[in-house]
Amino acid sequence: MSDKIGIYVCECGPNIASRVHIDKIMEDLAKLEDFKDKELVIKNHKLLCSVDGKKFLEDEINENGFSHLVLAACSPRDHDTTFINVCKKTKLNPYMYRIINIREQCAWVYSDKDVATEKAVRYIHAGMNRVLYQKPLNETELDSNPDVLVIGGGTTGIEAALSSAGENRKIFLIEKEENLGDLTSKLKELLPRQGSNLNVLKQRISDVQNNKNIRIFTNTELESIVGFLGNFEIVLKNKKSDETTELLVGAVVMANGAELQNPQELTDFNFQNDDNVFTAQEVEEMFSQSDKLTLRNGNEPKSVALVHCVGRKDLGYCSKICCNYLQKIAHYINEQSNNIEITEFYKHLCLPNKEDQEYHQKITDKVNFVRITDISLCGTELNLTKINGENSTLKPDMVILATGIIPAKDNPKFAKMLKVDLDERGFFNEAHLKKDPISTNTDGVFIAGTTKGPAGISESILQAQACAGKILTQLIPGQKIIPEVMVSEILEAYCRGCKTCLDVCGFGAIYFDEDKGVSIVNEAICRGCGNCVGSCPSGSIRTKYFTNPQLYQEVKEALR
Amino acid sequence: MNKGIKLEGEIRKSILDFFEKTLSNNTFDAVLMPMMVPSEDSYAWILVKDKNLLKDAEPIVPIMPINAAKALKRYTRIGDGKFKIAALMKPCEIRATIELVKLNQIKLDDVTLFSYDCVGALPMQDFIAEPQKKGTLFDKLLKEQIYNSDETKPVCQICDKFSNCASDLHFAFENGNVVLISNSEKGDKTVTKMKFSPNIDLKNWQNNIDALATDKKKNRAETFELVKKMAEGFDNLSETFALCINCHNCSSVCPICYCRKCYFDSAVAKPNSDVKMMRAKQRGGIALPLDKIMFHTGRMAHMSLSCVSCGLCSDACPVNIPVAQIFSYVASQTQKTFDYVAGENAGDALPMKEYKLDEMGELGEMVKKAEVQESHNE
Amino acid sequence: MSKLLKIENNFQDTIKDFLKNLLENKKIDGVFSFRKNTSNYGLITDVKELENIAPLYPLMPANAGQLLGRFTPMKEVIAVVIHPCEFRAFIELAKREQGSLDNFLLITHTCGGVYPLKVNVKNEINEKQYWASVEKGEIPQNIRPTCEACEHIAPQNADILISTIGEKNDVTKLYLNTKKGIKFAKYYNDNLVKKSFEKENLKPLLEKKNIAKEKLFSAITDTGLDGLIDIFGKCVGCHGCNAVCPICYCTLCDFDSFNYDYNTPILEKELEQKGALRLPPDTLFFQLGRLSHMSFSCVGCGQCSDVCPANIPVASVFKKVGEKTAEMFSFIPGKDVKEPIPVMIFKEEEFPELGE
Repeated sequence: MSDKIGIYVCECGPNIASRVHIDKIMEDLAKLEDFKDKELVIKNHKLLCSVDGKKFLEDEINENGFSHLVLAACSPRDHDTTFINVCKKTKLNPYMYRIINIREQCAWVYSDKDVATEKAVRYIHAGMNRVLYQKPLNETELDSNPDVLVIGGGTTGIEAALSSAGENRKIFLIEKEENLGDLTSKLKELLPRQGSNLNVLKQRISDVQNNKNIRIFTNTELESIVGFLGNFEIVLKNKKSDETTELLVGAVVMANGAELQNPQELTDFNFQNDDNVFTAQEVEEMFSQSDKLTLRNGNEPKSVALVHCVGRKDLGYCSKICCNYLQKIAHYINEQSNNIEITEFYKHLCLPNKEDQEYHQKITDKVNFVRITDISLCGTELNLTKINGENSTLKPDMVILATGIIPAKDNPKFAKMLKVDLDERGFFNEAHLKKDPISTNTDGVFIAGTTKGPAGISESILQAQACAGKILTQLIPGQKIIPEVMVSEILEAYCRGCKTCLDVCGFGAIYFDEDKGVSIVNEAICRGCGNCVGSCPSGSIRTKYFTNPQLYQEVKEALR
Repeated sequence: MNKGIKLEGEIRKSILDFFEKTLSNNTFDAVLMPMMVPSEDSYAWILVKDKNLLKDAEPIVPIMPINAAKALKRYTRIGDGKFKIAALMKPCEIRATIELVKLNQIKLDDVTLFSYDCVGALPMQDFIAEPQKKGTLFDKLLKEQIYNSDETKPVCQICDKFSNCASDLHFAFENGNVVLISNSEKGDKTVTKMKFSPNIDLKNWQNNIDALATDKKKNRAETFELVKKMAEGFDNLSETFALCINCHNCSSVCPICYCRKCYFDSAVAKPNSDVKMMRAKQRGGIALPLDKIMFHTGRMAHMSLSCVSCGLCSDACPVNIPVAQIFSYVASQTQKTFDYVAGENAGDALPMKEYKLDEMGELGEMVKKAEVQESHNE
Repeated sequence: MSKLLKIENNFQDTIKDFLKNLLENKKIDGVFSFRKNTSNYGLITDVKELENIAPLYPLMPANAGQLLGRFTPMKEVIAVVIHPCEFRAFIELAKREQGSLDNFLLITHTCGGVYPLKVNVKNEINEKQYWASVEKGEIPQNIRPTCEACEHIAPQNADILISTIGEKNDVTKLYLNTKKGIKFAKYYNDNLVKKSFEKENLKPLLEKKNIAKEKLFSAITDTGLDGLIDIFGKCVGCHGCNAVCPICYCTLCDFDSFNYDYNTPILEKELEQKGALRLPPDTLFFQLGRLSHMSFSCVGCGQCSDVCPANIPVASVFKKVGEKTAEMFSFIPGKDVKEPIPVMIFKEEEFPELGE
């Protein structure tokens, strides 16, 4: 079968046509010495990506029975996929075609039409050299796995699990502690007055345990993960028994929560364990257990200071929920006794939720709100600078600190395993702050709850449900996924198993065969980035569609 | 500093006796040691299991025809064995072994490494030409503990790492005595199994070695000043490698070069006729074989971070190019850039395989400075 | 019937002028020749660069046959000036689809031999002495042992054969043995006469060479297992011989591949059986393998001996074994591109004596 090459020059309306001599390009291509003996069809078109253009191209390919196709048009980022899809409708394998960018790289960067024209001819010539070395590549199909791994058995994780579980979708929920639950289990009530959180949480835990589509692993951590949306290979490890479990899932929801900062680590806050300085969390527990606020000696305090924004200076961000729960604590204290003097020190007061203002109004005449710029603590003595610049000292009986929410210690480990970014604070980073707030830069890994930053319960539940929503639409049971075709392959005959490629693979797509002593690419996971190709000293790895001979043919023309 | 164990007898006998005992009492199942070849003008690596064959072995050999790391590599790259073996080699061969472990080419799980104080090796072809004469010369160097003889290979003459290294056990030579030193847990296990009690003080020996090493280091620095002129810049390099015939012997014998098919021997180095003609036409002519200097600089880029200055490359060069000195010099520079010393410590990660978030900040500074300079010039 | 072109000038200048003419008039696209004061060949496309060639220089940095074999088929024609063993190696490669004869105008000469590489390293090549010996029809001193023993010094199947042995260096005789040779010679000078090269004139030298060959072969006393163990005992397994051998064209030698990458349990088994194991293994096996794979086509160029780090006389062994096995099939490597390699053809009746 002899080669017949189709070369189509797109005018892109006036975008290309006005900046190069289309006729001259086609003339020069027809005169190329080294293609003298090849059958060429050289045509132009006003706009190949239009409905007309695509139909034209499809008809041309079908009528001519091309073996290779070169399209001189715009950037591959714009329309490579468009033309691949056109090829798919014909007998021409889409990987026997190449798009050459004569718009951004020729027409749009030279004011001299002749120069742009000459460069366009050379570029297209390079592409013609290249396609002759291309080989047909066939797409394979994998069954997209609809199941989900939820990491973290707290409010958020449980919500994500319950919202996405179904007949055709199993959820694997893992929790590193002995029991399901989270920091909120220590709360007496939800704000404002929505009933005992413990009851709600207990109910949710019961729901998740009784759901036959949800499998729960406690004392379990994530050992390893490779893959992408629809196709993750997971290994779980039980901390107690050391037993591992291998699973296949289609998506992962990170809901491992956050931690509270220890105020004793802050240089401005100095107190001993036996001082009457408490964190808000400790106070919540106190109310939850005994319904009473007491000092360490069991007596009721006469004066209490509630301090907002503890550690805000160090952390550099607002922990969102403290203003709210301090209101609640102020209410509790006031209910306990009118005689307890309550002072709240705050840098900013943040009460954006429904009913927050109303709740706050109820307490304003019972609490002394003092706005400050700076505060430090020594025992129970507070030294502060008010907003008007005045310095002041207060020594109440009891100090209650609202401490900052900090990222979970495990986040860096997870980030590395899941190949997901952390932001500068150390919380998981979303794909886009506004447009894609619960996806990450790894397809198929979603984040919800405090793992991505300070959040309240309703916000966390919202995010968990959003993750479920994404999963429901992106991972349809029975759907097929087509893994990347332009993947790397390791020539087994040449590999010496030094594992350098394994170390540089950003996707964990290479594994080592102990028996043969060679490295092998997992084509279902590989994304064709080419890192491994560069790292192999003997050049034993090549990426399909971007092999050395193919690239060389293009470069050779440029260096002529 | 730990103490050593004195072994009775002169060097060759005491070491052979020691290993014979280890085979008898099952401390080891086999020992890797050199043995003379039938034509009696060279040595080969033999893994000996039958202790009766050990008497023909030669623990301290005058030449290095094959780097022991290469021999070991063919034995332990893949598969799990059941034998525990000992391997006796020169310090630079130990260093090469350590580098190959990092490159996943050698597994040391069942291997106990032994080294010894090395007086150097003689150029291989000189020995093959006159084995008797050179053999006698070497025996003299060993007996008299001469560590800076100019009869040894040029790289040996400037080697300051000729004594204890990253082996498990080391044979120290002091005043005609052989003292065995344990360097690791594995070494301690051997000492225990052999029912030895370390009681020899090593301070004097160490001081002596340190003094010799200082001298050799100075020699090394001086030599590198001269070698620098041969290696830096394309013109100098072209001149140094003018006689090179591109046979690739240097990379074939190099213990670090582990690739089954060298990149510079692959299709990349053998372009089609149209490319050859295009290159010839661009300059009026090209030299064939192609790209000699690219091969050498490429090899430097690929392996200089692990170069242990064993000198096999110079021994193997058919046109007597001082490859080992050139590569040792370049390696000293590239290794310094990453604060890395090849073969010293199995725990040091290979620079090219390790990713650090903050690295080579000085390059960033240099770029900034250059940019500022450029904008001033404009 | 061959033709002869006689030019009244010395060998070097005649060749240079001939090539210059062809290149200037675009009858050829390039010249392949040894370059003066270097250690490499050059592919030259600019006439000015031709000043720097030294076409018959008695040094062989690489067997040119190997380099020519790496030229994929092209429409350009290159004039090539090489030694007979390089030419014959190229013919052997062409038989194996590893060389394209159409690419080249193949010019060789009656060869006095080349010097070992180390002689050049020591700067001991005496051109004057060399050419004096060639003129006298004697074997020059200090050339490669396989060159001393070489009897294939006048290939009749090259396009052009330049007669130098026994000739005074003031007249250059170019024997044109093929249509291509005649065509290109005519471009330069159409003063051609019908005349074939007379091998008779080389008879005295060939007798001397035969004696040298017998001496070379008899120095290899034993090519059985013991003898080979003795010879190759000090082989370091660098495979330099294979790298420079023009006939060894495999992209990845079998002995470097997986097939010989044993795992530890296999080696342990052998260790148990024999009590000792040489590492790396297969030193001799590689030599036997190479002998069985390529010795038929060995042209005795001697490149392998020159690069051997252990000074093993590889070329002598391979030449001896190669010649004797090729004799069994009446095969002469490099003589005729149409002559098939014995192991590549099947004859129904062969080796009747073995049957007996």
